[in-house]
Amino acid sequence: MEDCLAKKMEITVSEAEKRTGKNAMNIQETYTAYLIETRAVESQSEGQCAPVDSLWRRYSEFELLRNYLSVTYPHIVVPPLPEKRADFVWHKLSADNMDPDFVERRRIGLENFLLRVASHPVLCQDKVFYSFLTQEGGWKDMVNETGFQLKADSRLKALNATFRVKNPDKRFTELKHYSDELQSVISHLLRVRARVADRLYGVYKVHGNYGRVFSEWSAIEKEMGDGLQSAGHHMDVYAASIDDILEEEEHYADLLKEYLFYAEALRAVCRKHELMQYDLEMAAQDLTSKKQQCEELATGTVRTFSLKGMTSKLFGQETAEQREAKIKILEEQIQEGEEQLKSKNLEGRDFVKSAWADIERFKEQKNHDLKEALISYAVLQISMCKKGIQVWTNAKECFSKM
Amino acid sequence: AAGAPKPLPSSGPKSLREMPHPLATSSSEEMGPALTPSPDLLLPRSIADKDLGLPNGTPVDTSSPASSSSLLNRLQLDDDLDGETRDLFVTVDDPKKHVCTMETYITYRVTTKTTRAEFDLPEYSVRRRYQDFDWLRNKLEESQPTHLIPPLPEKFVVKGVVDRFSEEFVETRRKALDKFLKRITDHPVLSFNEHFNVFLTAKDLNAYKKQGMALLSKMGESVKYVTGGYKLRSRPLEFAAIGEYLDTFSLKLGTIDRIAQRIIKEQLEYLVELREYGPVYSTWGGLEVELSEPLEGVSACIGNCCTALEELSEDMTEDFLPVLREYILYSESMKNVLKKRDQVQAEYEAKLEAVALKKEDRPKVPADVEKCQDRVECFNADLKADMERWQNNKRQDFRQLLMGMADKNIQYYEKCLTAWESIIPLLQDKPETK
Repeated sequence: MEDCLAKKMEITVSEAEKRTGKNAMNIQETYTAYLIETRAVESQSEGQCAPVDSLWRRYSEFELLRNYLSVTYPHIVVPPLPEKRADFVWHKLSADNMDPDFVERRRIGLENFLLRVASHPVLCQDKVFYSFLTQEGGWKDMVNETGFQLKADSRLKALNATFRVKNPDKRFTELKHYSDELQSVISHLLRVRARVADRLYGVYKVHGNYGRVFSEWSAIEKEMGDGLQSAGHHMDVYAASIDDILEEEEHYADLLKEYLFYAEALRAVCRKHELMQYDLEMAAQDLTSKKQQCEELATGTVRTFSLKGMTSKLFGQETAEQREAKIKILEEQIQEGEEQLKSKNLEGRDFVKSAWADIERFKEQKNHDLKEALISYAVLQISMCKKGIQVWTNAKECFSKM
Repeated sequence: AAGAPKPLPSSGPKSLREMPHPLATSSSEEMGPALTPSPDLLLPRSIADKDLGLPNGTPVDTSSPASSSSLLNRLQLDDDLDGETRDLFVTVDDPKKHVCTMETYITYRVTTKTTRAEFDLPEYSVRRRYQDFDWLRNKLEESQPTHLIPPLPEKFVVKGVVDRFSEEFVETRRKALDKFLKRITDHPVLSFNEHFNVFLTAKDLNAYKKQGMALLSKMGESVKYVTGGYKLRSRPLEFAAIGEYLDTFSLKLGTIDRIAQRIIKEQLEYLVELREYGPVYSTWGGLEVELSEPLEGVSACIGNCCTALEELSEDMTEDFLPVLREYILYSESMKNVLKKRDQVQAEYEAKLEAVALKKEDRPKVPADVEKCQDRVECFNADLKADMERWQNNKRQDFRQLLMGMADKNIQYYEKCLTAWESIIPLLQDKPETK
């Protein structure tokens, strides 16, 4: 990973700004623009800081970049973008794309995306990616000039189409199955987590009512008054503490979301393999049938039904010259076909090899990241418990002075 | 002998529980999820002379009546610093279910240990049901109308909503009944009440109840202060203040009760979600290879937190809410006593006015007016003393209650903390390279 871009360049998405402008259909709209800042990482001597370059991009440009990368590197598990619309929300969070909390989390997600790409051994070397980071004007044209859109359309079609592959690589079948299951389980987890957060919020906030009533009660008490009043204050602290806790938990949820979307990217690679395999099988089948046709023409035996065969029976046999011409065409086609099959086979094998290498890389990354995520979740829970113990211990102290 | 910690008057002496009891049987086995029925328990068991002991550990020989006076001597040497010697201890325990043809009900064992002369024996053990406690309370209200009588736990429960025979309900009730008797025991006047004595000692309480009714009607004198519907001129400031205090007090308690109930409700809803949440990690663990153990660990951890939360909610329901409600009931009954006091004063004032209007030359106040004045003064004095005692006990009770609430929450968080801390090493563990 010596030549990985992330090592050479500091990349941040440092700001988000609301903008209004005309979109492609000349309609006025409001959108958020994100500031990408880059700086070359050099061995910095004291006081010397490399200059910061920056440019603004909006979400749709990120989408364009990702589409380009997915199409151009079909064997790579391409890092996903943060969600387009707020999903898995619990009541406090707004589902509004303009909501500052959502925008903030999206900013972090976009930065994460860029860092992922910049750390990828293959993707980081892409010129279009580099331009995305550094070239403000004309980047869109540059992307479109690569012609990836054509490939994108057919790819999209392929990903959604159903077809049967006779001899898929078992590893890919298993992997596709895994990615489906992973998507399902992470979705479920995120949904329930959101409900859990909602309920926990309720529990904490109701405690705030104690603060008020203890205060009111303390007004009519002599000896008990002070203790009640100060305990009430701690109840307020307790109720307020949940906001920070749940905000931190959102970061955990965001990481899980990233892997939810990663599962989709993984699935795409599997589907690409299936597509190639299907293509290969079709080409082989086609070749076989052409060879058969050739043989039949040469030997005169008709084993397979063909419309030509029928019409020639009805309308008279072909001349020898005609037959010779046909055989020659077929032989050319067969030769072409064999070459194509060879190259397709090679392509297929290369794809499997490089895809599998990236999948292994991805697996390691996934295991590492998710472990870290679980640890951070546990740490968060521990912190929450400690805060709870602290607050209730303080309250108990106040009660003891009643 | 000084320096031994004195237990709080309202919570009763702890040592009684530790003392071996003559009727101590293996009652703990019988307290399973379903209470076992017990035959012929209207008759209290006789006191067998096994290990009898006093609070201070002195063994007791009940065989000779002379021993009680020697006991008294020993106790009198054992003076407390503030001069208050405890000579009466009452406990309610050992609930048992009785299934009869007409009904099913629960009885509780009421154990008494005392050196008071008013009691024939130093120890008693009887079985009583809620009805009996209710009877006692009514009798006390009748016979001691100038005093604040402690409340009983709620009489009626909505059938179908609450299981009257569930362990939790019975235990909650038992605690409340125990508290009720202990509060009476601590009262310098109520504890000497004749009905209380009978309640603690009689083998056949029902017979006494019937007898008591007959006596009353024979005697003809009603000890009740009849509310004659007199209008009160001016309430003494201090009683007005008490009335206002009680109004606000019970209002605030009501609010706290609602908040506590709401918290429990929210906690149970949180628990429902947690119960679905934990297993999803387990499902995920089934999908993974390297992450399988960490995910299982998280799942188990969440499961432990669920258990801890369940315990917290149960504790709050069983220990916290009932005490709040008790105090609300207490406030209600106290306000009634205040009303009675007002009535007594009003009656006196009316009679006094009537005399003044007669414009007779009598310098002396007629006897019945004097009697009224006495009544007013007695009532005021009793009530004032009781209020002071009540305020003190209330402070201690709430101190204990709220500290208990804080404790339960601390324990809940500590359990969760332990669970999460224990899986950190599991999560950080590096698997062996395959």
